[in-house]
Amino acid sequence: VTPALETDVVVVGGGVTGVAVLRDLALRGVRAVLVERFDLGTGTSGRWHGLLHSGARYAVRDQESARECIEENTVLRRIAPHTIEDIGGLFVLLPGDDEDYAGRFVEGCKASGITTEELSAAEARRREPLLSPDVKLAFAVPDGGIDSWGLLRSMAADAQARGCRVLVRHPMVGVERDGDRITAVRVHDQVAGEDRLIGCQWVVNAAGAWAGEIGRMAGVPIRMIAGKGVMVVMASRYVRGVVNACRKPADGDIIVPQHEVAILGTTSVQVDSPDDIAVAPADVDRMVDMCAQMVPSIGSGRVLRAFAGSRPLYQPESADGGSGDGGDTREVSRTFTVLDHATRDGLGNMLSIVGGKLTTCRQMAEALVDRLAERMGVTEPCRTATEALPGADHGPHRVAAPLAGVERDVTYGELVCECELVTRGQVRAAIADGLTELEDLRRKLRLGYGPCQAAFCAWRAAGMVAEERDQGDHLAGLERFLEERWRGQQATTWGDQARQALLNHAIYRGIFDLRDAGRPDEAAAAGRAPTEPGEGDPTTRVGDELAGESNGRTSSKAGG
Amino acid sequence: MRADVVVVGAGPAGLAAAVRLAEAGRQVRVIARGNGFTHWGAGAVDVLGRLGGERVERPLEAAARLPAEHPCRLAGEAALRDGLDWFLRFAAAAGLDHAGDPERNRDQVTALGTLRPTCLLPAPAAHPVAAGSGRVAVVNFEGFRDFSAALCAAGLRSAGVDAVAATAPLPAWDHARYFTAVELARAVDDDGFRRRLAPGLAQAAAGAAVAVVPAVLGVSTGHAAWADLERQAGMPLVEAATVPPSIPGLRLFAAYRARLDALGVRWQFGFPAVGVEWDGDRVTAVRSEGASRVLVTRCQEVVLASGGVAGHGIEANRDGTLAEVVAGLPVEGFPDRTAFVGDRFLGEHPLGAAGVRVDAELRPVHASGSPVHPNVRCVGGLLAGHDPTVEGSREGVALATATRVAELLAPAPTPVS
Repeated sequence: VTPALETDVVVVGGGVTGVAVLRDLALRGVRAVLVERFDLGTGTSGRWHGLLHSGARYAVRDQESARECIEENTVLRRIAPHTIEDIGGLFVLLPGDDEDYAGRFVEGCKASGITTEELSAAEARRREPLLSPDVKLAFAVPDGGIDSWGLLRSMAADAQARGCRVLVRHPMVGVERDGDRITAVRVHDQVAGEDRLIGCQWVVNAAGAWAGEIGRMAGVPIRMIAGKGVMVVMASRYVRGVVNACRKPADGDIIVPQHEVAILGTTSVQVDSPDDIAVAPADVDRMVDMCAQMVPSIGSGRVLRAFAGSRPLYQPESADGGSGDGGDTREVSRTFTVLDHATRDGLGNMLSIVGGKLTTCRQMAEALVDRLAERMGVTEPCRTATEALPGADHGPHRVAAPLAGVERDVTYGELVCECELVTRGQVRAAIADGLTELEDLRRKLRLGYGPCQAAFCAWRAAGMVAEERDQGDHLAGLERFLEERWRGQQATTWGDQARQALLNHAIYRGIFDLRDAGRPDEAAAAGRAPTEPGEGDPTTRVGDELAGESNGRTSSKAGG
Repeated sequence: MRADVVVVGAGPAGLAAAVRLAEAGRQVRVIARGNGFTHWGAGAVDVLGRLGGERVERPLEAAARLPAEHPCRLAGEAALRDGLDWFLRFAAAAGLDHAGDPERNRDQVTALGTLRPTCLLPAPAAHPVAAGSGRVAVVNFEGFRDFSAALCAAGLRSAGVDAVAATAPLPAWDHARYFTAVELARAVDDDGFRRRLAPGLAQAAAGAAVAVVPAVLGVSTGHAAWADLERQAGMPLVEAATVPPSIPGLRLFAAYRARLDALGVRWQFGFPAVGVEWDGDRVTAVRSEGASRVLVTRCQEVVLASGGVAGHGIEANRDGTLAEVVAGLPVEGFPDRTAFVGDRFLGEHPLGAAGVRVDAELRPVHASGSPVHPNVRCVGGLLAGHDPTVEGSREGVALATATRVAELLAPAPTPVS
């Protein structure tokens, strides 16, 4: 088969790491093509809580990670301010928390270069009025919120503007080898329904939690551990900035306000497959109850949904003892690692990047591309830390800005999604860009994220797709979106949300008479293993050090 | 405060029960949290649309095959027939003619271009639209967000209907930049607005045998605005059911409200019932929220029409239990909350069929089958044993059980309005 496409580097994985690698290559003038099995950010990069780490969560026991975080926190504020909500964060001390830990926390932050400001209980509550009156003390740190889809889109747009290509819905299915070199990557074009070969000189495996699967296709062993983190979405923000518990990281110790909602995090459970993203009701209860210790009104609040992501934890082959199957996982890598398969496995032209977290995705890409450039003989230095991303001139994202815009322009009548203030113009432009799956519109525009869970915007958007595109089974597209939105809702359906679910059911099944046609969803079509709530042994934790600490360590995912 | 009968809830069941009881001479007070499924429904009268997933063609006949504990069976076929007859007369007297009979189902056009089975259709939705009924123009009004002519036409085409999409301009008006279905429907109530609207509508639908439009053709003048616009447009206009709030439902709600006012029924709207007082096993009063204090309405009988989980009559708790919110009636819950809903959104959800179990006289019962309170009756969506959304049975259950309650609480023949 003649390669349909020739390039220097194929990057596998459309999460933040893969896209950051693509942009780094683009800035150094290297030709590259990124392949992704679904859409950008559909794996771990889209399944996390949105914390821009200050590094304070790692300050006590992992100061290397803490330093990486605060460095990158500063870099991202410079190159991608439009994706960041500059809201700061607090670490709060509750009765029963270890005061010695607080002391070590402040020292660790200092040693890692993270500024802290000690606040009295009264001052902390002045900043965060819904904090529990039990809070004894708090420390302010430069945490923030970051929109990973915004970051992904900006990096991808920049790389594309510089001549690199992004192929979504192109899962990698194999490689062509000639001796110790890969000569082409085989991908399946899901739209055309056929395999394609991409001829290349180099391959970068940036598939995150799925890196092991890509390794298998290339014939190199990469031992990844899937560390599932469950997060719970509340129907409003509750807090002005990030709120963390000032204690050894554990389940339910962080609240991140993001756009119109708050995200509670997280668990850390070892599971067999990174595709196991089922959420057990007990996880939801634990998140809510633990976070309610910090912000009591969360305890009786409205849970919108829950989701899980897979941390891309790397298990080095040479881990010293105790790294047996499903046992002690304390040796799991806590920062990121570049694997050069030439020296490691005798595969001459493939590198993998494993571990890491979203906040450090740019740094991970820099480390990998530095190594790759050396091997390729490319002498251009890395410029990703200084070149601002497209959109950066908008300045930091402010949560009230979209509403102010709607009020200024009197565009209420243009709103497709009232919860998230998505306008017809935005939807039309996205459709013109080729996004006709409602799920893709959701990821791009936040359509359907709000309290009504897409009751009204889903079919409005389906109508707009029908208006712009004659072809296609529009009702099937609507049904796919509704079923995708429903995934994992069993864990979070009670109280007001149960009422909302039945009202939405009364609209779509009752008024519109849509019935479950049993159409397979995207994940099923892609052969993702079915998962059920309750799967995964909650006692198999991913190491105490990683419980919670690895929250933001959500690096990229993509697919194979 | 005092009443013979307190009706809790103002959805399809509570409204019908209140009117029928008042017509029978009982002194009735209605206490309602807010609007119910008049506003959230499709704007038709469903009796039984689907059974075991299959479309039902003959609803009365099929209803007889329902399980004995189904509310339709508990109320009995006579109550269902009588309820539907009464509804047709009541609605017609209010200027809301309906077409259909309980012997066979009809198709209601929806905004997605699906044809949903229902029993009685308001006249503006009643003109048949089917494969072979000629060219159908699906027309939206420019700028109206809650309808897509393209989507509706595409759906109709997959049902074999020769449908095309078009847009009619709206005359200049106050809400050009932002309007809802209610605002548009109010504008259509105006003669002058309709005169300016009709030519554009006729032009958009030119060449078609019939025009399908969103259900927004007037709200406070019954079906008069629709009839007038149809005459001016010179072709049948068919209102398609769309998302809430349902304009046909608002018309019906207004008719009920006017009838209750005429009958001297007092109502308390927006202040939910929050509890009851009792003496022995008899409920003696209903407690409800007031502006600044709890209000107590003493009564001889209580009719609970407070709805199921969707209607806020039942609260679904985090631990899988269910609670009836007004009188604390027993409701069978689930082992845990994952059993509340199914794994496919468009499938079935057990919570949709959750409700209060009653005896043949619609009195709530203990697990043993004995009545909890002899003077409390339950009607409509609150009742166990049916899923109104999945079955398409909401209005049929409401009318049958409201009729049965009116018989039980006013044994004298109910006068025709």
